[in-house]
Amino acid sequence: MKQELIQKIKKMLESGEAGAVLFLRGEEGDITPAVASDPADAAIDEVYSGDSKFLMAAFACLVEPYHNEKVAVVMRECDRRMLIELAKHNKIAFDKIIPLSIPCSQQLADACVCDHPVPPGCEFDTTTRPVTNEPGGTEPEDGDRLSYWMDHFSRCIRCMGCRNVCPLCYCADCALDNPELLGPEMFPPDIPIFHLIRAIDMADRCIDCGMCEEVCPADIPLRKLYRNALGSLKEALDYVPGLDLKEKSPLEVLGEPGQLGGMEDGYRRE
Amino acid sequence: MADTSLKKDQTAKPEDGNEKIRILAFLCNWCSYAGADLAGVSRLQYPPDVKSIRVMCTGTISPHYILKAFQEGADGVLIAGCHIGDCHYLKGNYATAKRFRVIKDLLESIGIDPGRLRLEWVSAAEGEKYADVIASFTEQIKEIGKSPLSKSMGRDVNKSKAQVADESV
Repeated sequence: MKQELIQKIKKMLESGEAGAVLFLRGEEGDITPAVASDPADAAIDEVYSGDSKFLMAAFACLVEPYHNEKVAVVMRECDRRMLIELAKHNKIAFDKIIPLSIPCSQQLADACVCDHPVPPGCEFDTTTRPVTNEPGGTEPEDGDRLSYWMDHFSRCIRCMGCRNVCPLCYCADCALDNPELLGPEMFPPDIPIFHLIRAIDMADRCIDCGMCEEVCPADIPLRKLYRNALGSLKEALDYVPGLDLKEKSPLEVLGEPGQLGGMEDGYRRE
Repeated sequence: MADTSLKKDQTAKPEDGNEKIRILAFLCNWCSYAGADLAGVSRLQYPPDVKSIRVMCTGTISPHYILKAFQEGADGVLIAGCHIGDCHYLKGNYATAKRFRVIKDLLESIGIDPGRLRLEWVSAAEGEKYADVIASFTEQIKEIGKSPLSKSMGRDVNKSKAQVADESV
């Protein structure tokens, strides 16, 4: 796939379809992002196409404003969904980006428990099959669920890794820094509010890439937590983030009666 | 005079095993707050365990407020606003309804009883309904019991199991 990718990048630059290409270069363990605008650039021959995950969407947001022409970005399906969400929030001009989508290997898809390893319209040959299991172990039954989650949350060291790694967590004024909501600089943080604030804020934009869980030094099953919120949004409001550039989050528009998640008559547990 | 103040303090103490429950109610200025007012001037009796916060519209209630209420040990949170279609700001309560659904499901998924949350539409003319809602919600919360997140349940939410074990040694 590496040779195909090199040819594709060079062709794009030669034909002028893209003014620049953003990709990863180097070998496993020494990978850096690179931008090439000349098809003869030696960096293109070192393009990386292995299994390490990097947030190309975040790099794209940094690179895009410095180019007047279109920028092609070598990315996985996760990055493309992130870009769609970022474009919805006016963080990037999506029409200036040409997604150069590459498929993930079966090994990576299995490790991520990913149901979308191959981008739609992918031009590379691949045998990768989607994985449809639910990631992470099973949650305990009703009675123990709170202690299950509190035990996980209590390991949090407030490193802010989950917030910092996430390209969709971009607010300049972060609720997690609000001293009215959380004890400032308090260690360990107030739980469960610390994790729930992020879960509720990510509910309509999380694209389930799993980077937060990967960087978490305390191994908190964050992905499962956010998937719970995502599941609610899908079930109640029929919305999945990252799929359609035109479809707005139901939490950001007022909507109509009949689309209120079954809350038209209020809510009381019987 | 000092004697009476002492007595007052004693009566304020919770009875053994029957600690007072705490319910936080967010009331919309135009409907439910007026409804609560009507219940008051109509001299309807309802339980006194509710602390109310008046907001201009239920649509202004951030999900963070609800999380903060539970973090601070509220046993239940009630949101009451205008009926769908009667909102003073036309569609403010549509946003409330959708947010409420997501936060209810999230709290349920980490093991907090969804019975601790309630969303009601109470208009300015429904003083009686307001009294009924408060009575039935208080009843329900008493049945469920004190919030597991409240510090009086012996669980300091900011301590890990390891810390608690260290201290008990």
